[in-house]
Amino acid sequence: MTAQPSTVIAKPKPRRKPIATKSREVVILHLYPEELNIYGDRGNIITLVQRLRWRGYAPKVIRAGIGDTPVIAKADIIFGGGGQDRGQIAVGHDLQRHAKALHTAAAAGTPILTICGTYQLFGRDFTTLDGTVIPGIGIFRARTIGSHLRMVGNAVVDTSLGQLVGFENHSGRTILEESQQPLGTLIKGYGNDGRSGKEGAVIHQVYGTYLHGPVLPKNPALADTLILAALKNRYGIEELEPLNDYLEELTAKDAASRPQ
Amino acid sequence: MPVFITIALAKLILNLSRILGRGGGSALPGLVAERIDPAIGHKLARRLRDGSIIVTGTNGKTTTVKVLSKIFSDAGEALVVNRAGSNLSRGIVSALIEHVGWGGRFRQHRGLFEVDEAAMATVAAMVQPKAIVVLNLFRDQLDRYGELNSTAQFLGKGIAATTAQLYLNADDPLVASLASYAQPSQVVYFGIDAAPTAKLASDVTADSNNCPVCGRALHYSRNFFGHIGHYSCSEGHFKRPQPIYSANKVVLDPDAGQFTLRDKDHDPLPITIHLPGLYNVYNALAAASIALGMGATSPANVAQSLEAVEGAFGRVEKLSVKGRTLYLLLVKNPTGFNQVIQTFLLQEKQQNLLICINDNFADGRDVSWLWDVAFEELYTQSHSIAVAGLRATDMALRLKYADMPTSSITPNAKKALRQFIAQLPEGGTGYIIPTYTAMLALRKQLGRMTQLEGVWK
Repeated sequence: MTAQPSTVIAKPKPRRKPIATKSREVVILHLYPEELNIYGDRGNIITLVQRLRWRGYAPKVIRAGIGDTPVIAKADIIFGGGGQDRGQIAVGHDLQRHAKALHTAAAAGTPILTICGTYQLFGRDFTTLDGTVIPGIGIFRARTIGSHLRMVGNAVVDTSLGQLVGFENHSGRTILEESQQPLGTLIKGYGNDGRSGKEGAVIHQVYGTYLHGPVLPKNPALADTLILAALKNRYGIEELEPLNDYLEELTAKDAASRPQ
Repeated sequence: MPVFITIALAKLILNLSRILGRGGGSALPGLVAERIDPAIGHKLARRLRDGSIIVTGTNGKTTTVKVLSKIFSDAGEALVVNRAGSNLSRGIVSALIEHVGWGGRFRQHRGLFEVDEAAMATVAAMVQPKAIVVLNLFRDQLDRYGELNSTAQFLGKGIAATTAQLYLNADDPLVASLASYAQPSQVVYFGIDAAPTAKLASDVTADSNNCPVCGRALHYSRNFFGHIGHYSCSEGHFKRPQPIYSANKVVLDPDAGQFTLRDKDHDPLPITIHLPGLYNVYNALAAASIALGMGATSPANVAQSLEAVEGAFGRVEKLSVKGRTLYLLLVKNPTGFNQVIQTFLLQEKQQNLLICINDNFADGRDVSWLWDVAFEELYTQSHSIAVAGLRATDMALRLKYADMPTSSITPNAKKALRQFIAQLPEGGTGYIIPTYTAMLALRKQLGRMTQLEGVWK
């Protein structure tokens, strides 16, 4: 197995309108990388960066924490991961500053991936076990409530993008409203609430999931869905140059075969 | 139930499990004894004349216990010590059962126990130790322990249930904040004043880097690794406490470390340890602080014992196999792995590595943490890296996304070890980096090839 050279240039694609920028930059906005950082979700950023680089793009990662003022409208891909409860309360309040801009980005089709803690905060709210209500931003029509059950283990989900595999570790139960489409149906694992058999949520190009692992390295179909949406929005690109995903597929197969 | 009956029954089980060869009886006798009499641990521990010492924290427990055992045994004191890794309540009770006489008396006067962070609340209350040392708190096996802040709370509960002297790492903000669970007079801090190495550029781990009062990110004037260093809150709520025992003039090389130990009661004490890396300076410093703080022996004797200590079981072991030198380096979490990278893998180019990742229960089922390890640091080293274990492919994938190839992917760890040794040149050096259960399997196999010190021979 050899690493992909980083200098592969994608075949020229027809552009809907000419662009004036010097290089094919792609801006990835990482929300709260310091506050929500303990579950290896940074691997998703590494994956987006590398899969863009391997296709000849120039990804640029902007990290925005509590109190920072990122320009959400300039982000081509937005990502937020999972963290500890203490971090999440502070993040929930800070996130309100970006609520309007994030709603606008979501409606405009900006690809957004939210994992665990950030997924919960993209719902309407999160009521913790002691009754504290952490406000969300209501992009997903969902609410989360704390529970005594820690839902931990390997998970496999059947989705329209194919089978996704990851590792979940949460005690919040996320209840989707009738009109909210889940990301997929569980083959193995607890998923949103340990009861409904559903995992995650999706609206426009906004994806919410409990899957760590991290989720993107082992599920290149999801990574490339986000990337293609970003490149389509910014450069009018309709199709991605395929990469050799043999190792990714092998790893996903191994992970899916492990006990829950 | 009279104590001696519980002792007798548990001792019988201990002897039986030894005869049957089931894991050397490191947990079962304690488990049974606690079933018969839930207070047996407390009843036995209080029979130790000089009380007990508890060592806890995420990384370095086993090594620190080993260093402390050496200091005390060189000073002529026999200790009751639990076996490496048997660090839940039952493991400590088993050790007590093993060493107590049939009549309920101990030949030893003191206990020295490595205690799992999550078990601290119950074990500290049971043992009522004279001293507790907290080494550090990193995220580790979040699938088993939950969040790091909950782990700190378990420790706090344990501390609050005792009147023990606390030896806290001043350089770890979450550990230093545990002082709030005790009276100020109980707290003794140790820390490193200056170190020759700084945090790796691509080390992103900072598992607990916010102010416990206001939650703002702490400012670091020195950051050695992870969230370890000299920190302060910009609002003035919280800062690194001044250590009573401090390490200065630290010098590190791949096999050893040197530092000068300073405290107000003694002359500066030059110390050499044959354990590599800054993390082992912390372990040695912690052990020396307790030994001096408890007046166990003279500073000169402490220095002498420290110099004679070798690496603990599977943590850092250097072996010779068929004319090749092998290092066995246990990894459990991102901070520990980053320390292995910093200490061993940036010395020379083109080293030979075998990384073996398992996801059994004792390893932690979740391998997500591999993505927070600073593998990017290795890119320019051009090492030859073989990967093995139940999650070999996950490891290979992590390396692929750090632009590094793997020389082979072998799920079977034993087969991988054979191949790894076979392809090492005569006189060459190999670095074997396993998770916990992979370490046990590899060590067993290495034991057949060479003489190894250890619990399971």
